[in-house]
Amino acid sequence: MTKLTFILPDGSSQEVEATAGHSVMKTAISNSVNGIVAECNGSLACATCHVFLDDASAAQIDPPGETENDLLDFAAVERQPTSRLSCQVMVDNLPDGAVITMPETQV
Amino acid sequence: MAISVPEYDGVTLEQMYDDPYPTYAMLRKDAPVAWLKPANIHVVTKYEDIMQVERDQETFPSYDNRSLMIKVMGHTLMRRDGDDHKRHRKSLERTFSPVSVKRHWKPIFERIADEIIDDLYDKGQADIFADFAAPYASRCLKEVIGLPNMDWQDLSTWSQAFMDGVGNYGNDPETWARAKAAFEGIDNAIEDHYDGLKANPDYSALSSMFEVEDPIDMADIRANIKVIVGGGLNEPRDVTCTIVYALLTNPDQLKKFLANPALYKTIFEEAVRWVSPIGMYPRKVSKRVEIGGAILDEGDALGLVVASANRDSDRFENADKFDIDREKMAHIGFGAGPHFCAGTWVARAQVGEIAIPKLFERLPNLRLDPEHESKFGGWVFRGPLSVPVVWDA
Repeated sequence: MTKLTFILPDGSSQEVEATAGHSVMKTAISNSVNGIVAECNGSLACATCHVFLDDASAAQIDPPGETENDLLDFAAVERQPTSRLSCQVMVDNLPDGAVITMPETQV
Repeated sequence: MAISVPEYDGVTLEQMYDDPYPTYAMLRKDAPVAWLKPANIHVVTKYEDIMQVERDQETFPSYDNRSLMIKVMGHTLMRRDGDDHKRHRKSLERTFSPVSVKRHWKPIFERIADEIIDDLYDKGQADIFADFAAPYASRCLKEVIGLPNMDWQDLSTWSQAFMDGVGNYGNDPETWARAKAAFEGIDNAIEDHYDGLKANPDYSALSSMFEVEDPIDMADIRANIKVIVGGGLNEPRDVTCTIVYALLTNPDQLKKFLANPALYKTIFEEAVRWVSPIGMYPRKVSKRVEIGGAILDEGDALGLVVASANRDSDRFENADKFDIDREKMAHIGFGAGPHFCAGTWVARAQVGEIAIPKLFERLPNLRLDPEHESKFGGWVFRGPLSVPVVWDA
């Protein structure tokens, strides 16, 4: 089990026990964490599951692939160095206690 | 057959064609999953119920051996599921990625839009549907699929023939004949362009599918081109017309747009929400399931009415109003889940970023023609049928 903390746009936070094999996007949606739209449900075709990882987590995992990297340029809120599409980040690869911050909006 | 689903028979298909929105509002309220008898299909009309379907590909697959789309076009990626679908989708990535759109397609779309407006300018009047949106959508589409030497009117005719074939539940023989002619016409055009594209690969859909690592079969490539022909023309055409109509009938919102051109993004998404060009698309039920208070059984055919979901008052306030100032909420006009519209980024640039700003910039004092009324029609596919305008040439 990986414990994740989501920080919502209003500043509040929500802790979630993530299921192995799930993406961060799926973890957020199945735990009713608001702030992710995920129009394409993980098909790497939109940019509506954008999140910011904490620095340590971002450094620990593989960097975005080419398509993810391209799509991040089209996210509704401007990308930051630790921006990711949460459908492409598997919880198994994250450190326990990873902190994931939601952008102001996805659309 | 479904186990427990309310039946609705209080509307004719002609009434649906004229204006389906009152029926959708009634269904959302009283029977959010219903057997719509005149259309012989179970319809899902609320936003959350459609999202439930689209997040569960296993219970609600896209493949259905009764599919008219497969009959008319061959086995396209829209009727595939899982890894098979992913492989098809990946083979089109080079064409449809937002970066390809920005770097490669935008200048081509700009040139086409300018050429059409140059030809129209002196006339001082036009029907946005017939004189701009239809040729623009067709000429852009020729480039995107990789058949630039085709006649745009042929492409437009064949696109319509495919769409009519896909909706030919009444088994009309003349409609099948037109769809067959379109099938052969597209195959011949692919044949004509094949050597050139193999010799000089480009960003087109054909080239992308030819050149990808682990390419799909040629028969599947041809089927996918047909679904892009069917789906890549009427939607950008209809949204272009919807936006022109919506802005010209809402002068306060037009004024905001003219003062702030960056609003094109909001305007585009709001138009796709307000009158969704693809109003309904199908899914199949693979096992007994409860949804929206109804119980469906294995084999049931479902219609996901995204046009209705986009007017769902549980999600959108004053949903029937075109309002670029509304609270930002994702709509479902491009579908959701694995089949989320592959052409979304192309459409956003082609219509929202290029066509609309150019029309309003280049045609001074653009306004609705007071002598001729605009008309809308359709429910499975819906949009303006004509938008007559005048300007100060």
